[in-house]
Amino acid sequence: MEEILEITLRSIIVSLSAILLSATWSIPITLFLSRQKTRIANIIMSFFNSLVGIPTVIVGLFLYMILSSSGPLGFLRILYTPHAIIIGQSLLITPWIVSLSYEVFVKARNTYWELALALGADYFSANMVMLRETLPDLLVILLIAFSRAVGELGVALLVGGNIRGYTRVLTTTIALAVSRGEFEFALALGAMLVFVLFMIALTIRLIKAYKE
Amino acid sequence: MILLKDVWYLYGEKPAIKEINLTLKDDITYIIGPNGSGKTTLLKVSSLIFRPTRGEVLYNGENPWRDKRKLLKLRKKVVYVHEKPILLRGTVIDNVAFPLVLRGYTPSDAKDRAREILREIGLESIENKRRRELSAGQAQLVSLCRALILDAEYIFLDEPTNMLDIENREKIIELIGKKKAKKIIATHDLALPLQLTGRILLIKDGKLWGEITLGEYRSMFLNIH
Repeated sequence: MEEILEITLRSIIVSLSAILLSATWSIPITLFLSRQKTRIANIIMSFFNSLVGIPTVIVGLFLYMILSSSGPLGFLRILYTPHAIIIGQSLLITPWIVSLSYEVFVKARNTYWELALALGADYFSANMVMLRETLPDLLVILLIAFSRAVGELGVALLVGGNIRGYTRVLTTTIALAVSRGEFEFALALGAMLVFVLFMIALTIRLIKAYKE
Repeated sequence: MILLKDVWYLYGEKPAIKEINLTLKDDITYIIGPNGSGKTTLLKVSSLIFRPTRGEVLYNGENPWRDKRKLLKLRKKVVYVHEKPILLRGTVIDNVAFPLVLRGYTPSDAKDRAREILREIGLESIENKRRRELSAGQAQLVSLCRALILDAEYIFLDEPTNMLDIENREKIIELIGKKKAKKIIATHDLALPLQLTGRILLIKDGKLWGEITLGEYRSMFLNIH
């Protein structure tokens, strides 16, 4: 049981860090794109939309090639560390956050941002008003992205290496337990993963109820 | 004085307003026209929310779009009220105080001033309500109070009496009339120009059709009714 809790906690911390890291670039990128009415902005958004369904192993493989000792970022020596999983998951969920928050920002730009300008706000204040008003929606989006990150396997396995007590997370442990025939342990971990996802869904419902 | 020189605004390829040449200097100017005629776009371009696609909007002879600092300074003197009220999260009093907070008032001073205007309109009983608890008419009143709390030089009102019952309509008309600012009003409320008299401009298909006198308007109004 202690091991299950430790793995669960690590999964949550890793995926939460990935969400926060991804939000630092995804939200400013989306804020910028939502202001643009150019064809290039549309192409960039189509690119992000098309990456939403990218298989996790592709992201894992791509990152493995970059972070391996012969890769361009091999000197960082972060392959098979939790940092590598965090980076991988943050890249994986970037298209999700950008695609989902784009619609929210476009709508908010036509309402709250415009309202702030109409009442005399400068651009910075108008952006702050927009962010404040869209906060519940953004939280929901980040939680959806979190559920994607915590439930992925490809990245965690390829760049994390499933090292016991270090990079082992829920999904990689389930895969390992199944390969060893430890089905009870795998089911217990699966139940824990479902519980985490259920808590996320519940939080999303609460945020939506609060928003309305 | 606001001067619009050959102003166009395009949504994609489609012009919402075109070839607008107009001077706004009267106490009250009405923009009257059918749905989709470009009233809202004209108001948003004139109030510096939208940058014209073509042409110039000059405030006292200067084009504020050429100097970001001047544009931001000028926006503090101009206020635009949306047709559909947009309220922020928080209470009614937070909403009404918001433009004052933007202008550097302390939150308590801003709320005191907001309380005064809410009392003037008779809305003090709803000052702690949230947006989801308001009727459409109340939301409209709050939205108008939020704009009228400012000592703006220009007030642009998009359908200000829309969604209001007769009693609240009269209150708002009185409040608008009291304001010293130059008011530019887009409206479907054909009786409004007869109560608060002003210059009347007609717009159709994005183009200004011209101006009519109050006498002409009155006879047109009587013919319709």
